[in-house]
Amino acid sequence: MREDDPVAHSGRARAGFLGTVHCGGELVTEPRPDAGVVFQQALLLPWDTVLTNVMLPAHLKKDRSAATVKRAEHLLAFMGLKDFAQKYPFELSGGMQQRVSICRALMRDPKVLLMDEPFGALDAMTREAMNMELMRVWSEERKTVIFITHSIPEAVLLGDRVVVMSPRPGRISEIVNIDLGRPRSLQSMASARFGELCDHIRSVFGSESPMVASL
Amino acid sequence: MRSYPVGVRLGISDGGIAVTGKTPNSHRLQSGLLAITLVVIWEGACRLFEVSALVLPVPSAIGARLVTLFGSGTIWPHLWATLVEIIAGFVFGVIAGLVIGAMISLIPVLERLVYPYLVALQTLPKVAIAPLFIIWFGYGLTSKVVITALVCFFPVLVSVIAGFHSTDRDQLDMMKAFGATNWQTLIRLRIPAALVLIFAGLEIAAVLAVIGAIVGEFVGAQVGLGYLIVTLNFGLDVPGVFAVLIVLSANRIGDARVNARGGTSLHFLDPAQ
Repeated sequence: MREDDPVAHSGRARAGFLGTVHCGGELVTEPRPDAGVVFQQALLLPWDTVLTNVMLPAHLKKDRSAATVKRAEHLLAFMGLKDFAQKYPFELSGGMQQRVSICRALMRDPKVLLMDEPFGALDAMTREAMNMELMRVWSEERKTVIFITHSIPEAVLLGDRVVVMSPRPGRISEIVNIDLGRPRSLQSMASARFGELCDHIRSVFGSESPMVASL
Repeated sequence: MRSYPVGVRLGISDGGIAVTGKTPNSHRLQSGLLAITLVVIWEGACRLFEVSALVLPVPSAIGARLVTLFGSGTIWPHLWATLVEIIAGFVFGVIAGLVIGAMISLIPVLERLVYPYLVALQTLPKVAIAPLFIIWFGYGLTSKVVITALVCFFPVLVSVIAGFHSTDRDQLDMMKAFGATNWQTLIRLRIPAALVLIFAGLEIAAVLAVIGAIVGEFVGAQVGLGYLIVTLNFGLDVPGVFAVLIVLSANRIGDARVNARGGTSLHFLDPAQ
């Protein structure tokens, strides 16, 4: 799993925040069918059921086959949402909605999964749970994941490579290889190596961002 | 008039009807008792103070007139005419509002050109130009249908435009990210998202439709509940006027209930949730 960021995703520059942005890598100039996207908000269609929402990418390609339905159901079961297929988004919690959004992104079996601060809107404990969930998903369906986050620990926990970007203009400051072994758990966050890596990344920011340096 | 902030939850506030569309039995009982008490007080007070029947008739007289109006069959042609005007006017006005609203929302050029004129037209009280419509379209049902349609048109138009404007930018991005065509985005995102506000507009239009039809009949008609009111008033049959008003109100409460049910099933469609 690489931690990267499409710099010009849909024509918009993603870098340029004050704070921690871990990005870099591939340039994406328009929506690609082989990339699934997970946004910061779940962005499910409120008038469709969970199952219909998951099948949206297939429906948009006019694919309503039984095989597609099976895949959607399989994805939901995989994310622990088997019983919620006929529910509506408003009946689900934030974490569950985001899981549905991940299923949707995986629907067409993309080679690349783009995740733009997908767990930012969740509370801290749910966020940690989702991190573990994401790693579980990734261990089954190996894909290249490009994960944008403001959280240094999250980047180090999840990533194989963390690409640190500078604020405006967004340029790659450094690419840090994360040499922690897999599988990782929340316990990994207690290891010394984890702390060193976080510290190193933080120091990269320290030299660039006045706000972080003053902390 | 309501205002429509983006993402408003469709609230049902018509006449205290509960959001579920069902009023609990205890509430019904209480409302009923209150109504009976008020009627009794009314009857008693009018008799006690010898209020003239021309000013405020007693409920028993009103009730009697109601019976004669229905019993003699006088009311039916008028009731029927007004209902036709309301429903036909509503349907035409709503369709026009939906079509023109959709066109304006989806073709930006059109919006820039046409909308200012529509706003100007909207400020003109439709009921003030009712006499003009009577001259143009005659004393028959047509003129009233036109007035009603015009009166229904604007709330629906505004709510359609507001509905399409309220589409979430992020949702649009999401559809694009999954490769949706413009048509698919319209059908699967923009129209459902607009429905919440559109139904709010329909509710308002339903209320205004009645006003449009009745006022049109005041101005010039040969048949209808509004015509009946004016005629009875002229003949100083005030209990009769009250009786017709009761018939009108019954019609309105029926409207509100229908809208309440239509509205509540939509409340969960609100994308702001």
